[in-house]
Amino acid sequence: MITLTNIWKRFGEKQVHKGLDLEVRDNETLVIIGRSGGGKSVLLKMIIGLIKPDSGSIIVDGKEIGTLTYKQLQRLRFKFGFLFQGAALFDSMTVGQNIELALRRHSDYKDTDISERVKYALELVKLTNVSHLMPSNISGGMKKRVGLARAIALTPKYMLYDEPTTGLDVETADGINLLINELKTTLGVTSVVVTHDIHSAFVVGDRFAIFENGQFIMTGTKDDIRNSPNPEVRKYIESDIQT
Amino acid sequence: MTDTAIESTMFSRTAELFSRPGKIILTFFEHLGRYMGTIGWMIYNFRNAKEYSGNILQQMVMIGNNSIPIVLFVSMFVGMVTAVQSSYQLYDWIPRSVVGALVTKSVLLELTPLLTALVLAGKVGATITAELGTMRVTEQIDALEALAFDPISFLITPRVIAGILMFPILVVFGDFVAILGGMFGASTIAGIPIEAFVSGMKSSFDSWDAIFGLIKGTVFGFIITSVSCYQGFQVQGGSEGVGKATMNTVVLTCLSVVVMDFILASVLL
Repeated sequence: MITLTNIWKRFGEKQVHKGLDLEVRDNETLVIIGRSGGGKSVLLKMIIGLIKPDSGSIIVDGKEIGTLTYKQLQRLRFKFGFLFQGAALFDSMTVGQNIELALRRHSDYKDTDISERVKYALELVKLTNVSHLMPSNISGGMKKRVGLARAIALTPKYMLYDEPTTGLDVETADGINLLINELKTTLGVTSVVVTHDIHSAFVVGDRFAIFENGQFIMTGTKDDIRNSPNPEVRKYIESDIQT
Repeated sequence: MTDTAIESTMFSRTAELFSRPGKIILTFFEHLGRYMGTIGWMIYNFRNAKEYSGNILQQMVMIGNNSIPIVLFVSMFVGMVTAVQSSYQLYDWIPRSVVGALVTKSVLLELTPLLTALVLAGKVGATITAELGTMRVTEQIDALEALAFDPISFLITPRVIAGILMFPILVVFGDFVAILGGMFGASTIAGIPIEAFVSGMKSSFDSWDAIFGLIKGTVFGFIITSVSCYQGFQVQGGSEGVGKATMNTVVLTCLSVVVMDFILASVLL
């Protein structure tokens, strides 16, 4: 379980988080919905200690992130898979090398096992015969899939998705949404998805948190969100109806 | 305008006049502190370097092998120019063999290490900053951290080690070619017999001169690679940030190299 309590964060003059509280329960997919540039991605990066909050606590499986040493934090990161907004593939490495990098560094797998593991991760994201390709030679949708394969290679307990469908056409985005759901079923991961795409959110999410002006203005199920009278929440529902 | 308004305007202008240099000084020390912190972290985690030996070899090729042509080209012409100009300046005053001595001393002590460093500040330094800066803005460095890698050990340490190892080697190559260039320039343009040039070269040769050049190469290699890596890691924004950081790297490394050149000469000679 991941618990965020009273998180405050400021960048220069901009106060991006104003006392956030959030709980991510085991085996659920929690979707954080909010407009772009509001600080949702920062929140994801805080969960794995890439960015430190100015104040507040983040507890993952009973461990307070802020009190961990660098080594302990690295060990905790094994539990996480992170799909970055632009996939963040290492562009000097092939697709296969991107996926096997963490396996070579953090596991005792032999070369043959690593190859099998890479193949398995790629099959999970519905890709075959792409190991030899460079990231510059594959499409945006494929990059996201490879990013996903890299994130799940070490079988994480938690998956963090940063705008998984942004910049993709509707069909490719639907494919990614289906993958997120399949990975949840196949691997049993707990997921946190950050998105401004309410349609995708409703496809993948079990629970939802609406992020507005540095605060969560509502947390609840799909029905709670759909039936909310709050005009800030209705804004997102209506944008889904329009699309 | 009333007297109070004029006084207020003058006050704000004076405050601005003093605050701007103050901000520059603060920013300088802020970056110096972060740079030292990065170097400290790199040294503290140096034992991890063996795990990234593949990266070190890759960087040695990038920094060393790929720079050989430009270093040799520059060194050849530096040697020739030094020979021709020395001969022009001293023609009527001294024996011709002195040109050989002058070229050798100048090349070993100063010209090859300094000019190699300045050329590589542009080539290697700019490449490193642009590469790491792009990795920063496309979240590849964050991705490394998310995969439980230490990005300083993975990205900076191999580049700095490769710089420290390869720069002195490039200086050695440069020294040879510059002296050959000097010999060629002296014999073909200035009409100095090769025997006279070699005789002057032999009579003045001191192995400390060559060692001093290698020390310079090592120090310059460290400065150029570490500063360019730091700049790459600090990039903010998009491609504009990468461009700005790359330009800063070239300026900063060139300035640092000439200052360090003076310090080394003052201390070691």
